[in-house]
Amino acid sequence: MYLATEAMTILRVEILLTCPSSSELALLCVLSGKESQENACVISQCLRGFMETPLNHPQISLSRRTLSAADVQASDVRPLSVLEETLSYLLSLLDSREHPFEVVHDFIFDRTRSIRQDLSIQNLASEGVIHLYEEIVKFHVISRQRLQGCSGTSISSMHHLNMEQLAKTLTTLYNIYDANRKPDYIYENEAEFRSLYVLLHLNTSSGVMGEPLSLWFRKLTSNLIKSKEMCFVRKLLRSYRNGNYRSFLRTTASEATYLQYCISEPHIREMRSFAVECINNVCYKLQPYPLLRLSHNLMMKEMDVESLCHECGLEIRTDSDGSIVLPTKQTNFCRPKEGFRNYDLIGIEVERLL
Amino acid sequence: MAYVSMGEAHRRITEYLNRFCDAVSYQDSSMLCRLLSFSSNSPSLLSLADALNVFQDASSLIRQSDKFSEYGEILAHLFRSLQSYRVGNLVEAYLAFEKFANAFVQEFRNWESAWALEALYVVCYEVRILAEKADKELTSNGKSPEKLKAAGSLLMKVFGVLAGKGPKRVGALYVTCQLFKTYFKLGTVNLCRSVIRSIETARIFDFEEFPRRDKVTYMYYTGRLEVFNENFPAADTKLSYALQHCNPERERNIRMILKYLIPVKLSLGVIPKDELLQKYNLHEYMNVVQALRKGDLRLLRHALQEHEDRYVFPLTSYCTYLHLNCIVAVFLRSGVYLVLEKLELQVYQRLMKKIYIIQKLSDPARAHQLKLEVIAKALRWLEIDMDLDEVECIMTILIYKNLVKGYLAHKSKVVVLSKQDPFPKLNGKPVGS
Repeated sequence: MYLATEAMTILRVEILLTCPSSSELALLCVLSGKESQENACVISQCLRGFMETPLNHPQISLSRRTLSAADVQASDVRPLSVLEETLSYLLSLLDSREHPFEVVHDFIFDRTRSIRQDLSIQNLASEGVIHLYEEIVKFHVISRQRLQGCSGTSISSMHHLNMEQLAKTLTTLYNIYDANRKPDYIYENEAEFRSLYVLLHLNTSSGVMGEPLSLWFRKLTSNLIKSKEMCFVRKLLRSYRNGNYRSFLRTTASEATYLQYCISEPHIREMRSFAVECINNVCYKLQPYPLLRLSHNLMMKEMDVESLCHECGLEIRTDSDGSIVLPTKQTNFCRPKEGFRNYDLIGIEVERLL
Repeated sequence: MAYVSMGEAHRRITEYLNRFCDAVSYQDSSMLCRLLSFSSNSPSLLSLADALNVFQDASSLIRQSDKFSEYGEILAHLFRSLQSYRVGNLVEAYLAFEKFANAFVQEFRNWESAWALEALYVVCYEVRILAEKADKELTSNGKSPEKLKAAGSLLMKVFGVLAGKGPKRVGALYVTCQLFKTYFKLGTVNLCRSVIRSIETARIFDFEEFPRRDKVTYMYYTGRLEVFNENFPAADTKLSYALQHCNPERERNIRMILKYLIPVKLSLGVIPKDELLQKYNLHEYMNVVQALRKGDLRLLRHALQEHEDRYVFPLTSYCTYLHLNCIVAVFLRSGVYLVLEKLELQVYQRLMKKIYIIQKLSDPARAHQLKLEVIAKALRWLEIDMDLDEVECIMTILIYKNLVKGYLAHKSKVVVLSKQDPFPKLNGKPVGS
């Protein structure tokens, strides 16, 4: 965890643990700056919260080292094998149900930053390093999706920080892909991770990572452009930019990987509300639009469509034949607020998502 | 390299030194330009280079005379650069030229008037060109290319020297354009932002004061940036300015401007004539224009696809040219692909209009009713398989974005068109604005 000191230096807490039930190191962090009883107390509380074995277990040793953040020595930096194990352990906590997700996220967030720092210091660029960065990107993408379902005053800033680190991790990952590349070679998962850039920039004003898509595409190799993953996101981009909600939703359902789906979720919501707006705007006033049909077009459950219409400020009613319909040409339409709820995408192939 | 005697070498070097010093003394900028333009590969510079490689100790000649030694540092670096250039050692040539350029800029600062601006332009141009050549050499030797990036830093320094109140400020736009070319080559176009801000907001600059040639180049590059950012009205303004003010005899430059202006104009509903495309060899746009005229969605998609697969040549994006030998599409590489993809809605609009016109001929009373089934059939003729749900979706968008005026009667699966102007023109505005 990162603690603020009086001098606002970033501290990392180093605790070396050995546990009889697991084979190697579970957590490694570095405490730098001033130690204090208060810090020690906080550390212990956090550890108790996360470790199954209590801290006073006779076989657990706890040691702290004090280092200046600016004076990290080569010996303080964890080697790749340790980083791999650490990350593997951290990601295993993602599905923990013992604590609220925002607590789990916060814990893993700090430690993945620390792992990236160690990688950066060592200036490594192997396939193993690529794998680590890819896993960290996955963490940030999944966090982005799951934080949407959390509530609390700090969620907004957590989300913002998470997106910031997602952008930084992706940038580093792309640089590593490009460094020492052999001609015509693509790394195993590169096409998928490159496609995430497109999905983060579907909207021209999003600018998550700075470079407009038109410029970004220029740098891609032909093999990447023609990959299945890039063809998928380019199709999605075309549908999104032309407002073709039907094609967008259908393509996402049939072709998106789990990561691509997670990143696309805000746009799925956006396209659905856009569809409702269009239908409300263009349909014949004397022919209210059946919600069943709308649910089919938007690949949603009918009751979710009802909820969506309400979020868009539109009223629905029950027709004389008992079907629920959306009266059109209503003037109260409004775009749903940020962070409104996710609705399932009916028809998405679950197996591909796992 | 031709044989040169020591005596002849001595004569050539002394002659150059005299010309250089006289050019400075008499403020003869055009002479100075000729003396510094390595990339012109002029016979006199090449023969000087041969002489330098024979004589080997030109510095002693420079030191011998007060007239020459006044510019000793400048000349020593210049000669070293020329020697290396002549023997094809381009990294060394760049390094020495960079030192020469730094020393020259220091002298330039001390000259009160702007007499040497043209010569400074030559220095800036040569810095960029030599840096590109040096980077190619580095890459071919398996090393990391870094000289063009360094050239960018030097050019920024020169920009700073010119960004003042005096007469030298009119040179700032030329250096800006050299910076644009550098950043575009490196793929770091975000760095253009700071110079653009200086040119467009600093009170010392009056855009109309700058030379026409530089204004055209500036508008061309800033117009391209607007295309990348998909800001089409601004891109239209800038690229149209560049086109209107470009020398009509510079056909290559006009073609470069049109390459970006055409997709921008298309997205605003303005279609170029075939004669224009033929005159400037812009065949890659012919099918796109045809697709828009006919409402042929298949042709549009094929045209975009064709230029992904058919036009293959080495990548010109600088970094990847140096590191890779890859093949990329015409439209993606030039950055207009996404602009062209957005034309799809206009093609749909045209198709609907054609269906309407055909219906009007056969059954005028019902021409304003477009059945979704008929539209789906027309798309099938174009080998585009679309179910009625998606056809309904497309029509909904077209009406919403005001490309079609009317309403959707979903129960009868019909679009009822407005009797008046059912297919409004864009009139210079992007779709949906």
